[in-house]
Amino acid sequence: MPIEICDLSLSYRERPVLHRIFLKIPEGRFSVLLGPNGSGKSTLLKAMAGQLPSPAGAVRLFGRNLSEVPVRERARLVGYLPQSHHPVFPFTVEEIVLTGRASYVFSQPGQADRRKAEEAMETAGLTDLRRRPYTELSGGERQLVLLARLLAQDSPVLLLDEPVSHLDLANTARLLAMVRRLTQAGRTVLAVLHEPNSAFLYGNHFFFLKNGTLQQPPHPDRPWDGGFISGLYGVPLEVVPFQGKAFLTPGLF
Amino acid sequence: MKRLLFFLVFPLLVLGAAMLLGPPGGPGALRILRWAWDATFASGRWPAPDDLLIRTILLEVRLPRVLLAFLVGSALASSGTALQALVRNPLVSPDILGLSAGAACGAALAMTVSWIPLQPAAFLTAVLAAALCYFMAMRRRSVSALSLVLAGIIVNGIFTAALTLIQVANDPFKLQTIVHWTMGNLHNAGWGKLQSVALPVLAGSVILFLFRWRLDVLVLGEEECRAVGLHPEREKILFLLAAILSSAAAAAVAGIIGLVGLAVPHMGRMLVGPGHQRLMPVSFLLGGVFLVVVDTFARSVALFEIPVGVFTTLVCAPFFIVLLKRATAAFGEG
Repeated sequence: MPIEICDLSLSYRERPVLHRIFLKIPEGRFSVLLGPNGSGKSTLLKAMAGQLPSPAGAVRLFGRNLSEVPVRERARLVGYLPQSHHPVFPFTVEEIVLTGRASYVFSQPGQADRRKAEEAMETAGLTDLRRRPYTELSGGERQLVLLARLLAQDSPVLLLDEPVSHLDLANTARLLAMVRRLTQAGRTVLAVLHEPNSAFLYGNHFFFLKNGTLQQPPHPDRPWDGGFISGLYGVPLEVVPFQGKAFLTPGLF
Repeated sequence: MKRLLFFLVFPLLVLGAAMLLGPPGGPGALRILRWAWDATFASGRWPAPDDLLIRTILLEVRLPRVLLAFLVGSALASSGTALQALVRNPLVSPDILGLSAGAACGAALAMTVSWIPLQPAAFLTAVLAAALCYFMAMRRRSVSALSLVLAGIIVNGIFTAALTLIQVANDPFKLQTIVHWTMGNLHNAGWGKLQSVALPVLAGSVILFLFRWRLDVLVLGEEECRAVGLHPEREKILFLLAAILSSAAAAAVAGIIGLVGLAVPHMGRMLVGPGHQRLMPVSFLLGGVFLVVVDTFARSVALFEIPVGVFTTLVCAPFFIVLLKRATAAFGEG
């Protein structure tokens, strides 16, 4: 089991954010975490990535207590893509992607590290941009750079916090298809997504969070059925059948 | 080959040229060159009396001074480079940690109380000021960039106030020495001074050089740093220690040398970009060469010495203004 959460509760400044979470991320699947704004999705992801101190034993990484895994080793097991990020100096795309190798490097990155970064840029379709300053890229291109860095990190588990929030339609499709290919090649992915439709189209396992608690859909294989999503977001939704799945769209109100 | 040219030939040329120049009235460059030629290729010849003078000027006065200027400049520039990455702010220099105010305070104290040795006192108070900054800025076992900068302002204020207090309590003659010291001084350089500063500067520099690539990771921010496998707090302590060691020693020996630690890293970025694998070596080099050049001007243009700190500030200030304009424009966009 790549990541297992066992009775995790977290609060931020006395305010409870997560309440008694139990979950297991299935290996080799594209799992998606859905939920309305402020439901605690990012916090949950951060707890799994070791970005937040969490109670001992609540988060387990490949059977081990997460807080007992050294930072370097953890980075080789779990990659984490944070939400948007503000660069200060005009580093080139190449330099940013190379930082993904930090957990393998003692003093200076070597040939093998550069090769990994090269491959990652190729996979993300960034080879043409490699010498461009990161600060001059569009929001979508930056997201691809950060994804490439995550690939260079070469970890079996990937945690993505809103990886498509700045991307247009085409780039969203490209990125999510790429993530799906990664899971087909054996990696485990958990992504926070805003948009249920692309989640249902590309993902194959789903978690739902509302007010800090996990919600069980009545039909786990078909979470779009039975008004569950409408209840999750608190908005009336039309359900349009599509290729055995469904599209959801808010009605006019 | 190009690298060799840049890292070896260029600084050696500048250092050599600096050795030839001096205040008007001293031995001319040609005479020094002839002496150097004779001393190397025609050894065994009896030295003429004025040759001895040149020898003393060159080996006991100028050589240690040029080397000291190089060491101090490169310590300040490399620490500045590391600190700017560490606090993710391009407008930062070693001074933000209260280092120079601390050093000045310690030096003034040593000049007032005769049994306190000057340089160790200045070094210790500089380190004390920086440590105070760090612990003041600490909240829940982590130090944010912003609180470090704010703590630096407070610590700077405290030590400046203490310095003023010491100055007020002193007689005019000592006051003059203190004021002179704070203006930045390389004029009483000697082999002894060079020796005492070399060890901490080299120790700090080795750390900065060896782990310089990690600054590329640190500059992305704490979350990202942790995500790719570096402990941000530990790295911060490592680089702060190195930068403090190196720049406190520089401040203790040379007084306040304004703005070198701020401007030189930016000159480096203009040359080779922000990647620290190349930027750090360039900062070492450029900082050293810059201070040697400025110091040579400071001691050669007039019959009396112009304090080198004044010169560096005058040279770097316009640079800083341009930078400020650009940075605020960039922050406005973001």
